Amino acid sequence: MAMNSQYQAGRIQRVWQQGMARRQFLKWGLGGVAAVTAVAAGGFALLRRSPRDDMPAPEWATGLSAAEYHLFERARVVLLPVEGTNLVDSATVPVVQNVQTTLSFLDPVTRKELGAGLSLFDNVVVFSHGCRFVDLEAGPARELFDRWGEGSVLQRTLTTVIKQLVYSGYWQEPATWPPTEFDGPVSDKWGLPYLGNAPLPQDSPVASQQEQA
Amino acid sequence: MSQIRFQASGLKVHQAADVIDSQITLDADVVIVGSGAGGAVSAYELARQGKRVVVLEAGPYVPSQAFTEDFTQSLHDLYQDQGGQANSSGDLLVLQGACVGGSTVVNGCVCFRTPDFILQDWQRDFGLSELTEAELAPYFDEVEKNLSVHDNGEHEIARHGQVIREGAKKLGWSVKPLRRNIRQCGLTGHCLSGCKTERKQSMLVTYLPWAQAYGASIYSDTRVEKVLTENGEASGVEAVITRHDGTVAASMTVKAPRVILAAGAVQTPVLLLKSGLANRSGQVGRNFACHPSLLVAARYPQPIHPWRGALLGVHVDEFMHPDKGGFVLEDGGFGLVEMTMLAEPGTGKPFMDYMADARYLSGLVTLIHDHNVGTIEWDGERKAINYQLSNADFPSMQRAIKAAARLHLASGASEVYVPASDKRVIRSEADIDDQVDSLENAPQHLRMVSYHPQGTCRMGADPDASVVKANGETHDVPGLYVADASLLPTSIIVNPQITVYALATRIARHMS
Repeated sequence: MAMNSQYQAGRIQRVWQQGMARRQFLKWGLGGVAAVTAVAAGGFALLRRSPRDDMPAPEWATGLSAAEYHLFERARVVLLPVEGTNLVDSATVPVVQNVQTTLSFLDPVTRKELGAGLSLFDNVVVFSHGCRFVDLEAGPARELFDRWGEGSVLQRTLTTVIKQLVYSGYWQEPATWPPTEFDGPVSDKWGLPYLGNAPLPQDSPVASQQEQA
Repeated sequence: MSQIRFQASGLKVHQAADVIDSQITLDADVVIVGSGAGGAVSAYELARQGKRVVVLEAGPYVPSQAFTEDFTQSLHDLYQDQGGQANSSGDLLVLQGACVGGSTVVNGCVCFRTPDFILQDWQRDFGLSELTEAELAPYFDEVEKNLSVHDNGEHEIARHGQVIREGAKKLGWSVKPLRRNIRQCGLTGHCLSGCKTERKQSMLVTYLPWAQAYGASIYSDTRVEKVLTENGEASGVEAVITRHDGTVAASMTVKAPRVILAAGAVQTPVLLLKSGLANRSGQVGRNFACHPSLLVAARYPQPIHPWRGALLGVHVDEFMHPDKGGFVLEDGGFGLVEMTMLAEPGTGKPFMDYMADARYLSGLVTLIHDHNVGTIEWDGERKAINYQLSNADFPSMQRAIKAAARLHLASGASEVYVPASDKRVIRSEADIDDQVDSLENAPQHLRMVSYHPQGTCRMGADPDASVVKANGETHDVPGLYVADASLLPTSIIVNPQITVYALATRIARHMS
């Protein structure tokens, strides 16, 4: 098993390094992520286990694997610090639940590819940081996001997807709006009357016979 | 004359929840696929001529009263693929409405006529000699009148538009109010979530109820899977009615000697490819263009509150002609969720500081005249939007970003955020070239959005090089028409809704 793990690690690293070549990734989105992870299947968990592997996801997280739940929960902490601002603590907002809802709209093939990509993101950090993303301290984790934002197509894809999911999961919640003075929905608040359907065009032969339903 | 009364509000729509029979068969004179700009106008024009018209819409019927003014929720409720429709690389979001009324329900109301230099290109390069400015003018006049299109009044130019206008004047650039199809704008800023109080003159409150008054039937939740032919001519469609939980409610067949495809520039070619029709030229699904847009945000010293007031107020047309750059800048409002997608101020504290100061931000939308380099494919299971900004178009994008930055700075902004995957902030004129010239034309580098997919069933005189004729009928299949942005032979630089309305009106009248 150890040899297998080592062999897998070597293959993962080779594929990963190939992925750094821009031309390899010109047409790679999440499908490319899936290809890398297919090579890595079964090997990651053997590279570095995390204490979080033994922690179950909450009962509501039926649309996320336990590993995905822990990844997004860690990303929430890393991406949404509120110290020094008057913003709302992300721990009081259902960020990961909202991420789960968004992911539920993906078609099965894309969802599978994204799952592979998330697994890759969590695990491949072992090569550079000696631990999985879920176990990274906040500082190095933020540096990782910034560095990958300048990296290969694959790195940019993964960081963008994770950031957008977490940001959206937080900022869509009305509880986060008051500190920014964002007004949210206003029509009902302002009492704007409904105008209804536009009248039939004047040249219409039935325009003069309009009747309300 | 129709027995259906004109409704003051809302529509009578056959929805999946109403379906009792597992197989529905209808007879009509015309079946129309899609209820957006092209479909709704075609439905009205043909129904008022006495034709029996059936409109099939794949998306749900969401009445205005149900609009939430919550952008995230609206993406899920009103947009194609719940707002997740993207190109194959995942770096270009292609936003289209997927509901009764189509994209007209969720657009920003902007109305430009097709620029004359675009029509001249079409006449010269595609043999569309009929499509002159003079020929189309009456159609534009009519739809503009029907849809209350007007120049924004001063009260419809929000703070974000006012600062941009001031900056443009300082630079000596041509800046004009945008024209919009709206009555008594409520100034909510929530256009992209649908106009809750029915002020946007979308198809939902105009041509669809008008078509229905003349007897047109509208079916939502109804996805057309195949166009039918008999003896080489259009004869109807097959469709599936799907409940909102994803279960199939019924199969539907509509028999009709005229079929109009108006499902949009992504779905219409997919349907033709699925049906194996009208592709003698090999051009179905090719020539995709989309005006890849950026929203360039900037921080101002004074509060802007970019979510307040009309979403779109003014535009800079200084660079519209391809000889001058081939791009347009429009001031654009946005809310908090959209704001997270615009800039990359850094991870963690820099990002949260940026968001905490959201009220100081303002945005500029860039629209470029891209070349038709993309393709729409169907692999039997999934559609694919294959599009990357071409190297030929990348300089236009860079010029548009530079102009946006220059305009923001002239308007008083202290920081301009280049919408890239890495942190790029412009604080002075001296920063512009450094920050923009070093951008790469690479996937996942620029944060692009498209609201204007076009070109995938190109119109032209040559049946070996185009899919449809100038009258909208496909070269290959008599009785099969296209009446949406698929038929635009080139991208048109500007928001295409009025062009589609005018062409759809013309196509419907030529059918009769």
